[in-house]
Amino acid sequence: MKAVVTERGGLDEKLQAAASQHDGLRIEDVIVEKRGLSAHKRLSIYTGGYVLRLLECMRADFPALRNFVGDTVFDAFAKAYIISHPPKSSSLFDLGAGFPQFLEETKPPDSALQADLNGLLDMPPELARLERARSEIRRAPGTEQDPQGTQPLSPLAIFSESITLEATPCLRLLKLKFPLVDFLRRSDRNERPAPPLPESSFAALGRSNYRLHMEEVAMWQFAFLKACEHPLPLPLAAGRAAEESGKETAFILAELVVWLPVALGLGFLRRVS
Amino acid sequence: MRHPPQVDWFEIISENFMDNFGYARHVLERMAAIRPIVMHGVSMSIGSTDPLDWKYLESLKALAEFVQPVWVSDHLCWTGVSHVNTHDLLPMPLTEESLGHVINRVGQIQDFLRRPLVLENPSTYFEFRESTITEWDFLSELAKQTGCGLLLDVNNVYVSGFNHGFDPEHYIRSLPPESIVQIHLAGPSDCGQYLVDTHDQPVPAPVWRLYKLAQELTGGVSTLLEWDANIPDFPELVAELHKADAALRGMIPDAPVSKSIAAAVVSNPVGFQLALNDD
Repeated sequence: MKAVVTERGGLDEKLQAAASQHDGLRIEDVIVEKRGLSAHKRLSIYTGGYVLRLLECMRADFPALRNFVGDTVFDAFAKAYIISHPPKSSSLFDLGAGFPQFLEETKPPDSALQADLNGLLDMPPELARLERARSEIRRAPGTEQDPQGTQPLSPLAIFSESITLEATPCLRLLKLKFPLVDFLRRSDRNERPAPPLPESSFAALGRSNYRLHMEEVAMWQFAFLKACEHPLPLPLAAGRAAEESGKETAFILAELVVWLPVALGLGFLRRVS
Repeated sequence: MRHPPQVDWFEIISENFMDNFGYARHVLERMAAIRPIVMHGVSMSIGSTDPLDWKYLESLKALAEFVQPVWVSDHLCWTGVSHVNTHDLLPMPLTEESLGHVINRVGQIQDFLRRPLVLENPSTYFEFRESTITEWDFLSELAKQTGCGLLLDVNNVYVSGFNHGFDPEHYIRSLPPESIVQIHLAGPSDCGQYLVDTHDQPVPAPVWRLYKLAQELTGGVSTLLEWDANIPDFPELVAELHKADAALRGMIPDAPVSKSIAAAVVSNPVGFQLALNDD
Protein backbone atom coordinates (compact mmCIF):
# COMPACT_ATOMS: atom_id res chain seq x y z
CA MET A 1 0.00 0.00 0.00
CA LYS A 2 2.90 2.34 0.73
CA ALA A 3 4.28 1.72 -2.76
CA VAL A 4 0.87 2.20 -4.31
CA VAL A 5 0.35 5.58 -2.68
CA THR A 6 3.81 7.12 -2.61
CA GLU A 7 5.75 5.62 -5.54
CA ARG A 8 6.59 7.74 -8.58
CA GLY A 9 4.40 7.59 -11.70
CA GLY A 10 0.80 6.88 -12.62
CA LEU A 11 -1.31 4.27 -10.85
CA ASP A 12 -0.33 1.52 -13.30
CA GLU A 13 3.35 2.14 -12.63
CA LYS A 14 2.71 2.23 -8.90
CA LEU A 15 0.84 -1.07 -9.10
CA GLN A 16 3.69 -2.58 -11.08
CA ALA A 17 6.13 -1.44 -8.38
CA ALA A 18 3.91 -2.96 -5.69
CA ALA A 19 3.54 -6.22 -7.64
CA SER A 20 7.30 -6.53 -8.03
CA GLN A 21 7.70 -6.07 -4.26
CA HIS A 22 5.00 -8.63 -3.43
CA ASP A 23 5.51 -11.57 -5.74
CA GLY A 24 3.16 -10.56 -8.53
CA LEU A 25 0.23 -9.71 -6.29
CA ARG A 26 -2.65 -8.24 -8.30
CA ILE A 27 -4.75 -5.39 -6.99
CA GLU A 28 -7.92 -7.38 -7.66
CA ASP A 29 -6.61 -10.00 -5.21
CA VAL A 30 -6.48 -7.41 -2.45
CA ILE A 31 -9.39 -5.03 -3.02
CA VAL A 32 -13.06 -5.88 -3.36
CA GLU A 33 -14.70 -4.96 -6.67
CA LYS A 34 -18.40 -4.23 -6.51
CA ARG A 35 -21.10 -1.77 -7.53
CA GLY A 36 -19.41 -1.44 -10.91
CA LEU A 37 -16.32 0.17 -9.41
CA SER A 38 -13.06 -1.57 -10.18
CA ALA A 39 -10.29 -2.05 -7.63
CA HIS A 40 -8.19 0.22 -9.83
CA LYS A 41 -10.71 3.05 -9.69
CA ARG A 42 -11.21 2.68 -5.95
CA LEU A 43 -7.51 2.82 -5.30
CA SER A 44 -7.09 5.84 -7.57
CA ILE A 45 -9.28 7.90 -5.23
CA TYR A 46 -6.51 7.57 -2.64
CA THR A 47 -3.49 7.76 -4.93
CA GLY A 48 -4.80 10.80 -6.80
CA GLY A 49 -5.62 12.62 -3.60
CA TYR A 50 -2.20 11.94 -2.06
CA VAL A 51 -0.16 14.30 -4.23
CA LEU A 52 -2.94 16.89 -4.64
CA ARG A 53 -3.45 17.16 -0.90
CA LEU A 54 0.24 17.69 -0.22
CA LEU A 55 0.65 20.00 -3.20
CA GLU A 56 -2.04 22.20 -1.70
CA CYS A 57 0.07 22.48 1.46
CA MET A 58 3.23 23.30 -0.48
CA ARG A 59 1.41 26.07 -2.36
CA ALA A 60 0.24 27.55 0.93
CA ASP A 61 3.71 27.34 2.48
CA PHE A 62 5.57 29.04 -0.40
CA PRO A 63 3.22 31.67 -1.89
CA ALA A 64 5.95 34.12 -2.93
CA LEU A 65 8.00 31.44 -4.63
CA ARG A 66 4.89 30.29 -6.47
CA ASN A 67 4.17 33.88 -7.45
CA PHE A 68 7.74 34.24 -8.74
CA VAL A 69 8.13 31.06 -10.78
CA GLY A 70 4.47 30.64 -11.80
CA ASP A 71 2.02 27.80 -11.10
CA THR A 72 3.33 25.37 -13.71
CA VAL A 73 6.96 25.46 -12.64
CA PHE A 74 6.08 25.54 -8.95
CA ASP A 75 3.75 22.55 -9.19
CA ALA A 76 6.29 20.54 -11.19
CA PHE A 77 9.00 21.02 -8.58
CA ALA A 78 6.65 20.61 -5.63
CA LYS A 79 5.26 17.34 -7.02
CA ALA A 80 8.77 16.05 -7.71
CA TYR A 81 9.71 16.96 -4.13
CA ILE A 82 6.64 15.20 -2.68
CA ILE A 83 7.41 12.02 -4.60
CA SER A 84 11.15 12.15 -3.85
CA HIS A 85 10.67 12.96 -0.18
CA PRO A 86 7.49 11.25 1.08
CA PRO A 87 6.42 12.91 4.34
CA LYS A 88 7.70 11.21 7.47
CA SER A 89 6.26 13.61 10.02
CA SER A 90 2.81 13.52 11.54
CA SER A 91 2.68 17.29 11.06
CA LEU A 92 2.02 18.86 7.67
CA PHE A 93 4.03 21.81 8.93
CA ASP A 94 7.18 19.73 8.44
CA LEU A 95 6.34 18.91 4.82
CA GLY A 96 8.17 21.84 3.24
CA ALA A 97 11.22 21.79 5.52
CA GLY A 98 13.46 20.16 2.91
CA PHE A 99 12.10 22.04 -0.12
CA PRO A 100 14.77 24.80 -0.23
CA GLN A 101 17.49 22.13 -0.18
CA PHE A 102 15.66 20.14 -2.87
CA LEU A 103 15.54 23.22 -5.11
CA GLU A 104 19.23 23.81 -4.52
CA GLU A 105 20.10 20.20 -5.39
CA THR A 106 17.98 20.11 -8.54
CA LYS A 107 19.47 23.25 -10.11
CA PRO A 108 21.22 22.56 -13.42
CA PRO A 109 25.01 22.57 -13.09
CA ASP A 110 26.51 26.06 -13.51
CA SER A 111 28.48 25.26 -16.63
CA ALA A 112 25.40 24.22 -18.56
CA LEU A 113 23.87 27.69 -18.62
CA GLN A 114 24.68 31.31 -19.34
CA ALA A 115 26.13 33.23 -16.39
CA ASP A 116 23.10 35.52 -15.90
CA LEU A 117 20.70 32.56 -15.95
CA ASN A 118 22.89 30.76 -13.45
CA GLY A 119 22.47 33.71 -11.12
CA LEU A 120 18.70 33.75 -11.55
CA LEU A 121 18.42 30.05 -10.77
CA ASP A 122 19.92 30.74 -7.37
CA MET A 123 16.90 32.77 -6.42
CA PRO A 124 14.14 30.10 -5.99
CA PRO A 125 16.01 28.15 -3.29
CA GLU A 126 16.94 31.38 -1.53
CA LEU A 127 13.36 32.65 -1.60
CA ALA A 128 12.16 29.25 -0.35
CA ARG A 129 14.63 29.49 2.58
CA LEU A 130 13.25 32.88 3.53
CA GLU A 131 9.63 31.74 3.31
CA ARG A 132 10.39 28.60 5.29
CA ALA A 133 12.11 30.63 8.02
CA ARG A 134 9.05 32.84 8.24
CA SER A 135 6.80 29.78 8.61
CA GLU A 136 9.01 28.51 11.41
CA ILE A 137 8.88 31.68 13.47
CA ARG A 138 5.12 31.71 13.17
CA ARG A 139 4.96 28.55 15.31
CA ALA A 140 8.19 28.67 17.34
CA PRO A 141 8.19 29.46 21.04
CA GLY A 142 8.44 33.26 21.36
CA THR A 143 8.82 35.88 24.03
CA GLU A 144 5.11 36.47 24.59
CA GLN A 145 5.20 34.58 27.88
CA ASP A 146 8.40 36.36 28.96
CA PRO A 147 7.74 40.10 28.64
CA GLN A 148 10.42 40.77 31.28
CA GLY A 149 13.20 39.73 28.91
CA THR A 150 12.15 42.07 26.11
CA GLN A 151 11.32 45.17 28.15
CA PRO A 152 12.62 48.39 26.54
CA LEU A 153 16.16 49.44 27.38
CA SER A 154 17.03 52.99 28.31
CA PRO A 155 19.34 54.44 25.62
CA LEU A 156 22.52 54.37 27.69
CA ALA A 157 21.81 51.18 29.61
CA ILE A 158 24.48 49.33 27.67
CA PHE A 159 27.13 51.52 29.32
CA SER A 160 25.65 51.53 32.81
CA GLU A 161 24.18 48.07 33.30
CA SER A 162 25.54 44.57 33.15
CA ILE A 163 23.58 43.07 30.29
CA THR A 164 23.56 39.47 29.12
CA LEU A 165 21.69 38.73 25.92
CA GLU A 166 20.28 35.62 24.29
CA ALA A 167 18.63 35.04 20.92
CA THR A 168 14.93 34.26 21.29
CA PRO A 169 13.79 30.77 20.24
CA CYS A 170 11.98 32.37 17.31
CA LEU A 171 14.99 34.20 15.86
CA ARG A 172 16.06 32.99 12.41
CA LEU A 173 19.18 34.36 10.70
CA LEU A 174 19.80 33.90 7.01
CA LYS A 175 22.71 34.85 4.81
CA LEU A 176 21.19 35.18 1.35
CA LYS A 177 22.54 35.55 -2.17
CA PHE A 178 19.91 38.21 -2.93
CA PRO A 179 18.34 41.06 -0.96
CA LEU A 180 14.97 39.32 -0.70
CA VAL A 181 13.24 40.87 2.30
CA ASP A 182 11.70 43.72 0.30
CA PHE A 183 10.93 41.31 -2.55
CA LEU A 184 8.97 39.07 -0.16
CA ARG A 185 7.11 42.00 1.39
CA ARG A 186 6.02 43.21 -2.03
CA SER A 187 5.00 39.73 -3.06
CA ASP A 188 2.89 39.54 0.12
CA ARG A 189 1.03 42.58 -1.18
CA ASN A 190 0.23 40.63 -4.36
CA GLU A 191 2.66 42.69 -6.41
CA ARG A 192 4.89 41.04 -8.97
CA PRO A 193 8.25 42.56 -8.05
CA ALA A 194 11.18 42.25 -10.42
CA PRO A 195 13.88 39.91 -9.11
CA PRO A 196 16.70 41.79 -7.37
CA LEU A 197 20.24 41.58 -8.68
CA PRO A 198 22.46 39.04 -6.91
CA GLU A 199 24.09 40.59 -3.86
CA SER A 200 24.95 39.12 -0.46
CA SER A 201 22.45 40.16 2.16
CA PHE A 202 21.60 39.30 5.75
CA ALA A 203 18.08 38.77 7.04
CA ALA A 204 16.82 38.47 10.62
CA LEU A 205 13.34 37.19 11.39
CA GLY A 206 11.64 37.24 14.76
CA ARG A 207 8.32 37.64 16.50
CA SER A 208 7.06 39.91 19.25
CA ASN A 209 3.54 40.05 20.64
CA TYR A 210 2.62 37.48 17.95
CA ARG A 211 3.64 39.85 15.13
CA LEU A 212 6.20 38.57 12.66
CA HIS A 213 9.19 40.77 11.88
CA MET A 214 11.57 40.40 8.97
CA GLU A 215 14.44 42.82 8.55
CA GLU A 216 17.47 43.13 6.33
CA VAL A 217 20.37 43.74 8.71
CA ALA A 218 23.97 44.87 8.37
CA MET A 219 26.76 42.34 8.61
CA TRP A 220 27.77 43.49 12.13
CA GLN A 221 24.13 43.16 13.30
CA PHE A 222 23.95 39.67 11.81
CA ALA A 223 27.22 38.74 13.57
CA PHE A 224 26.00 40.26 16.85
CA LEU A 225 22.73 38.30 16.74
CA LYS A 226 24.60 35.13 15.82
CA ALA A 227 26.98 35.63 18.75
CA CYS A 228 23.94 35.67 21.04
CA GLU A 229 22.71 32.21 19.98
CA HIS A 230 23.90 31.22 23.44
CA PRO A 231 23.64 33.65 26.39
CA LEU A 232 26.53 36.10 26.22
CA PRO A 233 27.45 39.30 28.07
CA LEU A 234 26.94 42.28 25.76
CA PRO A 235 30.60 43.34 25.60
CA LEU A 236 31.63 39.88 24.46
CA ALA A 237 28.91 39.77 21.82
CA ALA A 238 30.00 43.21 20.57
CA GLY A 239 33.59 41.98 20.43
CA ARG A 240 32.62 38.99 18.35
CA ALA A 241 30.53 41.13 16.01
CA ALA A 242 33.53 43.45 15.56
CA GLU A 243 35.78 40.50 14.81
CA GLU A 244 33.37 39.04 12.23
CA SER A 245 32.49 42.29 10.51
CA GLY A 246 35.84 44.06 10.58
CA LYS A 247 34.33 47.02 12.45
CA GLU A 248 35.73 48.59 15.62
CA THR A 249 34.14 47.44 18.88
CA ALA A 250 33.57 51.09 19.78
CA PHE A 251 31.60 51.55 16.56
CA ILE A 252 29.42 48.58 17.39
CA LEU A 253 28.76 49.72 20.95
CA ALA A 254 27.79 53.17 19.66
CA GLU A 255 25.42 51.63 17.10
CA LEU A 256 23.93 49.34 19.76
CA VAL A 257 22.74 52.36 21.73
CA VAL A 258 20.10 52.86 19.06
CA TRP A 259 19.72 49.38 17.60
CA LEU A 260 19.67 47.09 20.66
CA PRO A 261 16.27 48.39 21.92
CA VAL A 262 14.97 47.81 18.38
CA ALA A 263 16.30 44.25 18.31
CA LEU A 264 14.66 43.56 21.66
CA GLY A 265 11.39 45.07 20.45
CA LEU A 266 11.37 42.95 17.30
CA GLY A 267 11.75 39.79 19.35
CA PHE A 268 15.24 39.00 18.04
CA LEU A 269 16.90 39.09 21.47
CA ARG A 270 15.99 38.96 25.11
CA ARG A 271 17.83 39.86 28.29
CA VAL A 272 18.73 37.04 30.60
CA SER A 273 19.53 37.46 34.24
CA MET B 1 -13.28 36.85 19.16
CA ARG B 2 -14.92 40.29 19.34
CA HIS B 3 -18.37 38.72 19.74
CA PRO B 4 -19.49 35.83 21.93
CA PRO B 5 -19.27 32.53 20.02
CA GLN B 6 -22.61 31.34 18.70
CA VAL B 7 -21.75 27.70 19.23
CA ASP B 8 -21.57 25.63 22.41
CA TRP B 9 -18.10 24.15 21.89
CA PHE B 10 -15.25 23.93 19.41
CA GLU B 11 -13.26 21.11 17.91
CA ILE B 12 -9.64 21.61 16.90
CA ILE B 13 -7.41 19.53 14.66
CA SER B 14 -4.85 18.43 17.24
CA GLU B 15 -1.89 18.40 14.83
CA ASN B 16 -2.40 22.09 13.99
CA PHE B 17 -1.69 23.05 17.57
CA MET B 18 0.83 20.43 18.69
CA ASP B 19 4.26 22.05 19.02
CA ASN B 20 2.74 25.33 17.86
CA PHE B 21 3.55 28.22 20.19
CA GLY B 22 2.41 31.06 17.95
CA TYR B 23 -0.73 33.13 17.67
CA ALA B 24 -2.89 30.08 16.93
CA ARG B 25 -2.10 28.73 20.38
CA HIS B 26 -2.91 32.08 21.94
CA VAL B 27 -6.32 32.08 20.24
CA LEU B 28 -6.86 28.49 21.35
CA GLU B 29 -6.15 29.47 24.94
CA ARG B 30 -8.73 32.24 24.72
CA MET B 31 -11.29 29.90 23.18
CA ALA B 32 -10.66 27.24 25.79
CA ALA B 33 -11.36 29.81 28.48
CA ILE B 34 -14.88 30.44 27.20
CA ARG B 35 -15.99 27.20 25.53
CA PRO B 36 -15.25 23.47 25.90
CA ILE B 37 -12.76 22.13 23.36
CA VAL B 38 -12.51 18.72 21.76
CA MET B 39 -9.18 17.64 20.26
CA HIS B 40 -9.60 15.74 17.02
CA GLY B 41 -6.52 14.20 15.43
CA VAL B 42 -5.67 12.83 12.00
CA SER B 43 -2.21 11.31 12.47
CA MET B 44 -2.39 8.82 15.35
CA SER B 45 -2.45 6.00 12.80
CA ILE B 46 -4.01 3.60 15.27
CA GLY B 47 -4.32 0.85 12.67
CA SER B 48 -0.76 0.97 11.33
CA THR B 49 1.67 -1.87 11.74
CA ASP B 50 4.40 0.68 12.54
CA PRO B 51 5.17 0.96 16.25
CA LEU B 52 3.21 3.64 18.10
CA ASP B 53 4.80 7.06 17.58
CA TRP B 54 5.59 8.00 21.17
CA LYS B 55 7.00 11.39 20.20
CA TYR B 56 3.68 12.19 18.58
CA LEU B 57 1.80 10.91 21.61
CA GLU B 58 3.93 12.99 23.97
CA SER B 59 3.10 16.14 21.98
CA LEU B 60 -0.56 15.14 21.97
CA LYS B 61 -0.51 14.64 25.71
CA ALA B 62 1.23 17.99 26.26
CA LEU B 63 -1.44 19.72 24.19
CA ALA B 64 -4.19 17.91 26.10
CA GLU B 65 -2.69 19.11 29.37
CA PHE B 66 -2.69 22.67 28.01
CA VAL B 67 -6.21 22.59 26.53
CA GLN B 68 -7.95 20.26 29.03
CA PRO B 69 -10.25 18.99 26.28
CA VAL B 70 -13.51 17.18 26.84
CA TRP B 71 -12.39 14.44 24.43
CA VAL B 72 -9.30 13.40 22.49
CA SER B 73 -10.32 11.68 19.29
CA ASP B 74 -8.86 10.26 16.08
CA HIS B 75 -9.90 7.83 13.34
CA LEU B 76 -10.10 4.09 12.87
CA CYS B 77 -7.53 4.03 10.09
CA TRP B 78 -3.86 4.02 9.30
CA THR B 79 -2.05 6.95 7.76
CA GLY B 80 1.15 5.26 6.63
CA VAL B 81 3.66 2.52 7.09
CA SER B 82 7.46 2.29 7.24
CA HIS B 83 7.46 5.75 8.82
CA VAL B 84 5.88 7.40 5.79
CA ASN B 85 2.79 9.48 6.55
CA THR B 86 0.44 9.86 3.59
CA HIS B 87 -1.71 12.34 5.53
CA ASP B 88 -4.72 10.39 4.41
CA LEU B 89 -7.10 8.19 6.41
CA LEU B 90 -6.51 4.78 4.85
CA PRO B 91 -8.98 1.92 5.35
CA MET B 92 -7.98 -1.07 7.46
CA PRO B 93 -8.42 -4.74 6.77
CA LEU B 94 -11.07 -5.66 9.32
CA THR B 95 -10.09 -9.06 10.75
CA GLU B 96 -9.76 -10.72 14.17
CA GLU B 97 -6.03 -10.09 13.95
CA SER B 98 -6.36 -6.36 13.16
CA LEU B 99 -9.02 -6.01 15.85
CA GLY B 100 -6.64 -7.46 18.43
CA HIS B 101 -3.91 -5.16 17.15
CA VAL B 102 -6.05 -2.04 17.52
CA ILE B 103 -7.42 -3.12 20.92
CA ASN B 104 -3.86 -3.45 22.17
CA ARG B 105 -2.83 -0.04 20.83
CA VAL B 106 -5.92 1.75 22.13
CA GLY B 107 -5.17 0.29 25.56
CA GLN B 108 -1.59 1.56 25.47
CA ILE B 109 -2.64 5.02 24.34
CA GLN B 110 -5.40 5.33 26.93
CA ASP B 111 -2.97 4.34 29.66
CA PHE B 112 -0.46 6.90 28.41
CA LEU B 113 -2.93 9.75 27.95
CA ARG B 114 -4.74 8.80 31.17
CA ARG B 115 -8.08 9.37 29.47
CA PRO B 116 -10.40 7.43 27.19
CA LEU B 117 -9.72 7.73 23.50
CA VAL B 118 -12.55 8.38 21.06
CA LEU B 119 -12.39 6.87 17.57
CA GLU B 120 -14.27 7.93 14.47
CA ASN B 121 -15.46 5.83 11.57
CA PRO B 122 -13.74 7.12 8.40
CA SER B 123 -15.13 7.47 4.90
CA THR B 124 -13.67 4.68 2.82
CA TYR B 125 -13.45 4.00 -0.89
CA PHE B 126 -12.34 0.38 -0.89
CA GLU B 127 -12.56 -2.73 1.28
CA PHE B 128 -9.92 -5.45 1.65
CA ARG B 129 -10.84 -8.93 0.42
CA GLU B 130 -9.37 -10.39 3.59
CA SER B 131 -11.80 -8.47 5.82
CA THR B 132 -14.02 -10.79 7.82
CA ILE B 133 -15.69 -8.32 10.17
CA THR B 134 -18.03 -5.49 9.30
CA GLU B 135 -16.94 -2.01 10.33
CA TRP B 136 -19.87 -1.66 12.74
CA ASP B 137 -19.03 -4.95 14.47
CA PHE B 138 -15.34 -4.01 14.56
CA LEU B 139 -16.09 -0.66 16.24
CA SER B 140 -18.62 -2.21 18.62
CA GLU B 141 -16.16 -4.85 19.80
CA LEU B 142 -13.37 -2.27 20.04
CA ALA B 143 -15.52 -0.05 22.27
CA LYS B 144 -16.58 -3.04 24.39
CA GLN B 145 -13.04 -4.35 24.88
CA THR B 146 -11.26 -1.03 25.51
CA GLY B 147 -13.92 1.30 26.86
CA CYS B 148 -13.03 3.80 24.17
CA GLY B 149 -15.71 6.17 22.94
CA LEU B 150 -17.07 6.33 19.42
CA LEU B 151 -17.31 9.44 17.31
CA LEU B 152 -20.05 8.60 14.85
CA ASP B 153 -19.64 10.50 11.60
CA VAL B 154 -23.03 10.03 9.96
CA ASN B 155 -21.76 11.51 6.70
CA ASN B 156 -18.96 8.95 6.62
CA VAL B 157 -21.49 6.17 7.21
CA TYR B 158 -23.52 7.51 4.31
CA VAL B 159 -20.48 7.83 2.01
CA SER B 160 -19.09 4.38 2.85
CA GLY B 161 -22.57 2.84 2.64
CA PHE B 162 -22.99 4.21 -0.86
CA ASN B 163 -19.49 3.18 -1.93
CA HIS B 164 -19.66 -0.36 -0.52
CA GLY B 165 -23.37 -1.05 -0.79
CA PHE B 166 -24.35 -1.49 2.86
CA ASP B 167 -27.38 -0.05 4.60
CA PRO B 168 -26.25 2.99 6.61
CA GLU B 169 -29.24 2.74 8.94
CA HIS B 170 -28.31 -0.82 9.79
CA TYR B 171 -24.73 0.35 10.48
CA ILE B 172 -25.92 3.00 12.95
CA ARG B 173 -28.48 0.71 14.63
CA SER B 174 -25.75 -1.92 15.13
CA LEU B 175 -23.42 0.32 17.16
CA PRO B 176 -23.68 0.43 20.96
CA PRO B 177 -25.44 3.79 21.47
CA GLU B 178 -23.97 4.18 24.95
CA SER B 179 -20.47 4.28 23.42
CA ILE B 180 -21.27 7.11 21.00
CA VAL B 181 -20.11 10.33 22.62
CA GLN B 182 -20.13 12.67 19.67
CA ILE B 183 -21.50 13.02 16.14
CA HIS B 184 -19.94 14.57 13.05
CA LEU B 185 -21.94 16.03 10.19
CA ALA B 186 -20.60 17.05 6.79
CA GLY B 187 -21.49 17.34 3.14
CA PRO B 188 -19.97 14.92 0.60
CA SER B 189 -19.51 15.24 -3.18
CA ASP B 190 -21.22 13.02 -5.72
CA CYS B 191 -18.64 11.86 -8.26
CA GLY B 192 -21.08 9.73 -10.23
CA GLN B 193 -20.21 6.15 -9.36
CA TYR B 194 -19.05 6.99 -5.88
CA LEU B 195 -19.22 9.62 -3.13
CA VAL B 196 -16.23 11.45 -1.66
CA ASP B 197 -16.05 12.95 1.81
CA THR B 198 -15.02 16.47 0.80
CA HIS B 199 -16.24 18.48 3.81
CA ASP B 200 -17.03 21.37 1.49
CA GLN B 201 -20.78 21.19 0.91
CA PRO B 202 -24.05 21.63 2.82
CA VAL B 203 -25.28 18.51 4.61
CA PRO B 204 -27.68 16.62 2.28
CA ALA B 205 -31.08 15.26 3.28
CA PRO B 206 -30.04 11.56 3.55
CA VAL B 207 -27.30 12.52 6.03
CA TRP B 208 -29.75 14.58 8.07
CA ARG B 209 -32.04 11.53 8.26
CA LEU B 210 -29.16 9.40 9.58
CA TYR B 211 -28.36 12.15 12.05
CA LYS B 212 -31.92 12.12 13.38
CA LEU B 213 -31.77 8.34 13.79
CA ALA B 214 -28.43 8.50 15.60
CA GLN B 215 -29.65 11.15 18.00
CA GLU B 216 -32.79 9.14 18.74
CA LEU B 217 -30.70 6.06 19.52
CA THR B 218 -28.12 7.87 21.66
CA GLY B 219 -30.58 10.11 23.45
CA GLY B 220 -28.70 13.15 22.18
CA VAL B 221 -24.95 13.75 22.02
CA SER B 222 -22.83 16.73 20.97
CA THR B 223 -22.77 17.43 17.26
CA LEU B 224 -20.08 19.01 15.14
CA LEU B 225 -20.45 20.28 11.59
CA GLU B 226 -17.22 19.70 9.66
CA TRP B 227 -16.50 22.16 6.88
CA ASP B 228 -12.83 22.13 5.87
CA ALA B 229 -12.76 23.54 2.34
CA ASN B 230 -14.69 26.30 0.53
CA ILE B 231 -15.62 27.45 4.02
CA PRO B 232 -18.54 29.91 4.00
CA ASP B 233 -18.76 32.95 6.27
CA PHE B 234 -19.26 32.12 9.93
CA PRO B 235 -22.97 33.16 10.04
CA GLU B 236 -23.73 30.81 7.14
CA LEU B 237 -21.79 28.06 8.87
CA VAL B 238 -23.74 28.57 12.09
CA ALA B 239 -27.01 28.61 10.13
CA GLU B 240 -26.09 25.22 8.63
CA LEU B 241 -25.40 23.84 12.09
CA HIS B 242 -28.72 25.15 13.40
CA LYS B 243 -30.51 23.05 10.79
CA ALA B 244 -29.71 20.18 13.13
CA ASP B 245 -32.46 21.39 15.49
CA ALA B 246 -34.96 21.32 12.65
CA ALA B 247 -33.82 17.85 11.59
CA LEU B 248 -34.39 16.53 15.10
CA ARG B 249 -37.94 17.88 14.94
CA GLY B 250 -38.44 15.88 11.76
CA MET B 251 -38.08 18.84 9.38
CA ILE B 252 -35.31 17.38 7.27
CA PRO B 253 -33.54 20.08 5.23
CA ASP B 254 -34.10 19.37 1.56
CA ALA B 255 -30.53 19.59 0.25
CA PRO B 256 -29.31 17.16 -2.41
CA VAL B 257 -25.87 15.58 -2.47
CA SER B 258 -23.75 18.10 -4.36
CA LYS B 259 -22.52 16.99 -7.75
CA SER B 260 -18.78 17.34 -8.11
CA ILE B 261 -17.65 19.62 -10.91
CA ALA B 262 -13.96 19.46 -10.09
CA ALA B 263 -11.68 17.40 -12.31
CA ALA B 264 -9.94 15.92 -9.30
CA VAL B 265 -11.72 15.58 -5.98
CA VAL B 266 -9.59 15.31 -2.85
CA SER B 267 -10.91 13.41 0.13
CA ASN B 268 -9.93 14.56 3.60
CA PRO B 269 -8.98 18.10 2.53
CA VAL B 270 -6.26 19.94 4.43
CA GLY B 271 -7.67 23.44 4.10
CA PHE B 272 -7.86 23.60 7.87
CA GLN B 273 -4.06 23.66 7.97
CA LEU B 274 -3.68 26.27 5.27
CA ALA B 275 -5.85 28.77 7.09
CA LEU B 276 -3.41 28.75 9.99
CA ASN B 277 -0.71 30.22 7.78
CA ASP B 278 -2.50 33.53 7.40
CA ASP B 279 -1.17 36.27 9.63
